[in-house]
Amino acid sequence: MTTINRQDSNTPVTAPPIASSKQPLPTAKTVDTQSVRKRLQSELMALMMSGDSGISAFPEEDNLFNWKGTISGSKDTVFEGTEYKLSLSFPNDYPFKAPKVKFETSCFHPNVDVFGNICLDILQDKWSSAYDVRTILISIQSLLGEPNTASPLNTQAASLWGNHEEYRKMVEKLYKPVA
Amino acid sequence: MVVDATLSVCDLGVLDSLNGDAVQEIVESWNGYCLATEALLNGNGDLSFGSKLVSQVRTLCNYGLESLVEEHFAGFLEETFEKNGASKFWEHFDAYNNVASREMSVDPVCTIDNFTMIQKDSIQQVLCKALEEISMEKQYQEKCLLLLIDVVQSHKDSMPEKNLGGTERLHLLSKYQSMVSSVLMATLPPHFPEILRWYFKGMLEELSTIMADDCEDDNESHDKDDMDLDEKSKLPYKTGDMDVDECYHQNRLLQNSKVVKNIGIVVRDLRNLGFTSMAEDAYASAIFLLLKATVHNLAGDDYRSSALESIKGWIQAVPLQFLHTLLAYLGDSISYDDTLSSGLKSPLASRPSSCYAGIDNPSEGLVRWQLRLEYFAYETLQDLRIAKLFEIIVDYPDSSPAIEDLKQCLEYTGQHSKLVDSFISALRYRLLTAGASTNDILHQYVSTIKALRTIDPAGVFLEAVGEPIREYLKGRKDTIKCIVTMLTDGTGGNSNGPGNTGDSLLEELNRDEESQENTGANDDFNADDKQAWINAQRWEPDPVEADPLKGSRNQRKVDILGMIVSIIGSKDQLVNEYRVMLAEKLLNKSDYDIDAEIRTLELLKIHFGESSMQRCEIMLNDLIDSKRTNANIKATIMQPSQAGAEAMGEDTIFQDLLNATIVSSNFWPPIQDEAFNIPEPVDQLLSDYAKRFNEIKTPRKLLWKKNLGTVKLELQFEDRSLQFTVTPLHASIITQFQDQTSWTSKNLSAAIGVSIDVLNRRINFWISKGILSESLGADSNDHIFILVDGTANTSKTGANTGGCEELLVGDDEGDRSVASVEDQLHKEMTVYEKFITGMLTNFGSMALDRIHNTLKMFCVADPRYDKSLQQLQSFLSGLVAEDKLELRDGMYFLKK
Repeated sequence: MTTINRQDSNTPVTAPPIASSKQPLPTAKTVDTQSVRKRLQSELMALMMSGDSGISAFPEEDNLFNWKGTISGSKDTVFEGTEYKLSLSFPNDYPFKAPKVKFETSCFHPNVDVFGNICLDILQDKWSSAYDVRTILISIQSLLGEPNTASPLNTQAASLWGNHEEYRKMVEKLYKPVA
Repeated sequence: MVVDATLSVCDLGVLDSLNGDAVQEIVESWNGYCLATEALLNGNGDLSFGSKLVSQVRTLCNYGLESLVEEHFAGFLEETFEKNGASKFWEHFDAYNNVASREMSVDPVCTIDNFTMIQKDSIQQVLCKALEEISMEKQYQEKCLLLLIDVVQSHKDSMPEKNLGGTERLHLLSKYQSMVSSVLMATLPPHFPEILRWYFKGMLEELSTIMADDCEDDNESHDKDDMDLDEKSKLPYKTGDMDVDECYHQNRLLQNSKVVKNIGIVVRDLRNLGFTSMAEDAYASAIFLLLKATVHNLAGDDYRSSALESIKGWIQAVPLQFLHTLLAYLGDSISYDDTLSSGLKSPLASRPSSCYAGIDNPSEGLVRWQLRLEYFAYETLQDLRIAKLFEIIVDYPDSSPAIEDLKQCLEYTGQHSKLVDSFISALRYRLLTAGASTNDILHQYVSTIKALRTIDPAGVFLEAVGEPIREYLKGRKDTIKCIVTMLTDGTGGNSNGPGNTGDSLLEELNRDEESQENTGANDDFNADDKQAWINAQRWEPDPVEADPLKGSRNQRKVDILGMIVSIIGSKDQLVNEYRVMLAEKLLNKSDYDIDAEIRTLELLKIHFGESSMQRCEIMLNDLIDSKRTNANIKATIMQPSQAGAEAMGEDTIFQDLLNATIVSSNFWPPIQDEAFNIPEPVDQLLSDYAKRFNEIKTPRKLLWKKNLGTVKLELQFEDRSLQFTVTPLHASIITQFQDQTSWTSKNLSAAIGVSIDVLNRRINFWISKGILSESLGADSNDHIFILVDGTANTSKTGANTGGCEELLVGDDEGDRSVASVEDQLHKEMTVYEKFITGMLTNFGSMALDRIHNTLKMFCVADPRYDKSLQQLQSFLSGLVAEDKLELRDGMYFLKK
């Protein structure tokens, strides 16, 4: 699955406008990894000290460029009581390019495909270096409650979105918490 | 008939050539021979039957029956010896049968001890007598045997074709010798070895007393004649003329050699009887027992003097002398005469330094004995000292002779591991317990390092011994504080302070400085070849027990400071704690005298590096600057007041009394702040001061920390005046009573601007001094404080009057001026807690190691993670106890 790139995985779904109309990213400045590390360190510090509930992320054991994230479903949404694992991988020219963010836990959501790819504008064309891990996680958390059903990756989820009770059932059925 | 039976065994070829007459002759002479033999051997030393025997034997030999004769004679000898010799010999010792068994089973009853004492005295005589008898018997039998052998030999000599040479003679004698010993061995009663041991023990003790007297005499004879006389009269062998010291001396030497000679005779007799090894065992074990007792006696529980030399001296004086004489007497050494003369001329103790006092030419056996004895002495002393090593180290600087002894012993025996094991278990049992204070443990640790450094300069064993102490200290909270106190205290006249000199690590700092200068020279790579060659020659291999992983000897130089710091884990922690302590000290200073602190800081800088002590240096500089600025401000404030208004007059006096410490708070540890209102005039004073500061040092401004510092004040009553040195808050409280003698706690706390709790805590000081009194008001929470009128209560507070000046600084934890290291640590740990929560949220469960490594890797920003695994573990278990985490199978989870 890891060999499939974003474009391939998106094709089975109805052509996502965001993915296809991908703008050329601003030319990546050559940055030494040291400053990237510094930035990621300080983001980690900020995230740890922020104390936001329901979002969290932490670098994997030996690699500051691969993080694991955790998002819990907000209250009063169909995702209440669930917890989703994410993987974040930062490019070498972060923050000039967006990190690749994927769901590790399968998530029944209009903008998340079966492979965990997320369709979220700030992770693609709307990325700005002002964003950081915390804002990404908050955005994804709010995306759970407020999907963009106009351009779904998961049409079934998009069509079911109107029916809260049914949707909740589907979420519970498909939710497999990580042990 | 006996003859037929024996003949059939003999050479049958001879029988053929015999005629009737010859047979008749043989039978007759055989019977005659048998009778003669019996008569001879039972004849109790009467050799008159000898001639008769000789003729008969000759006849028999002519018939070629010499082997038969020999055989028969030997058999008869055995029979006789068994009857006359052995059984009689053992009979002598029958009486000691039960005594010996009692001796073996240690019986504490006194009567029996007395009994055995009596028996012991007599046993010497009995043994001598018995040995004499049996030796007589044996000698007689040997004589008889020689008689026979001579006859047979002469017969053989006359017949050249049968000449077998002199071997026959030796053969028969050795056969007899083995017969004797086998008979004795076969009938040996079980208690005999015990009796021998007793005997030697008794004799050796006697000898040792004589020698000891001898030594004493040599030392004291010149000025203690009276005592000599006393001693002399006590001795059993006393001569008639006591007035001549020389005569007495000689007498004792004679007596000494007499004792040895007695023993020599006994040993020789025992050897003759075939008890060589048993006798040797007996006197060896007696010597070792005596040696052990002497070592214990000489070494004892006194660690302030070296016991090794006196033990060696004793070995020379008693056992070696004894052995020498004994061996010489037995012919193993130089001739007997020589020994006697040497014994006579030897004033042993007067020449203790020479290796073989009074013995000119040591035999090989003696050297071997000496080595054995010394090894045994070393081992005994070493065991004794190792068992008491803990106590020895407790009084370390005083007990260094004992340590020196132990070092020499260990060099000899090489049983360092014994020391390590025993000492560690002693430490565990006696020191590393909850009851021991951290200070004591640290002091013991320092003493241990110092003491073991003597024994083992490479520090290999020290490492093993120090490990449990370090591990234990790591678990103590106040370790760092104690170490820093040890590092910084003791500056005040530590050379005069009795007993406390060893405690301070300051001198270690000093020493370190010197050694660093030295090593600096050694490390110089351009040092000339000569030096390098000298160094190379001085190289010694590491002890075998050394751990090769821990570097070679050169790197393992024992560094007390380094070992102490290694307890803490990182020098940063130590520096931090020192900074807090320094801040506390500096803030409580009322003068600007910081010479001692500067000195300490310079020493610390050498050890920990300039950069890590930078903040501390700034703090000291603040103090120096404060002194200057303070003087400056006061000078400039006073000038206008002198020139101008009279109203300022009162202020001027105040101004003169105000001294400020100006700190650059960025570099100081967090300073505790506690707001309260200070009396109006003082407040005015402070703001004037601050204004002046601002004028001088624009754009800098002063921010007063009003709760810090000290106030010296004098309370004047009608009949007395009292002086106090108190904190500003205390001063503010009492100032309120200047105009109004009674306050309710609510009003007072409002006036001063602190909470009632704080007020109640602080006002207790004045109540306890009898200045204020407390009574319950209408409201149970609202107490009333009244200024105690001087005249009413003089009797009560009489003890406190008379201008007593009391220093009151930091009377409880709340009074600390600086946030303690624990508080800082706690703050840091909350950051770590967030990180730990973060990683556990995302990774589920993690082991301690992984958490530690992850923190090390990612928590690198401001409070950089610098804790040890142990610290993390204790922190995590704290979180577990707070129900934030969960620990299962060595993995930590978030508690949900």
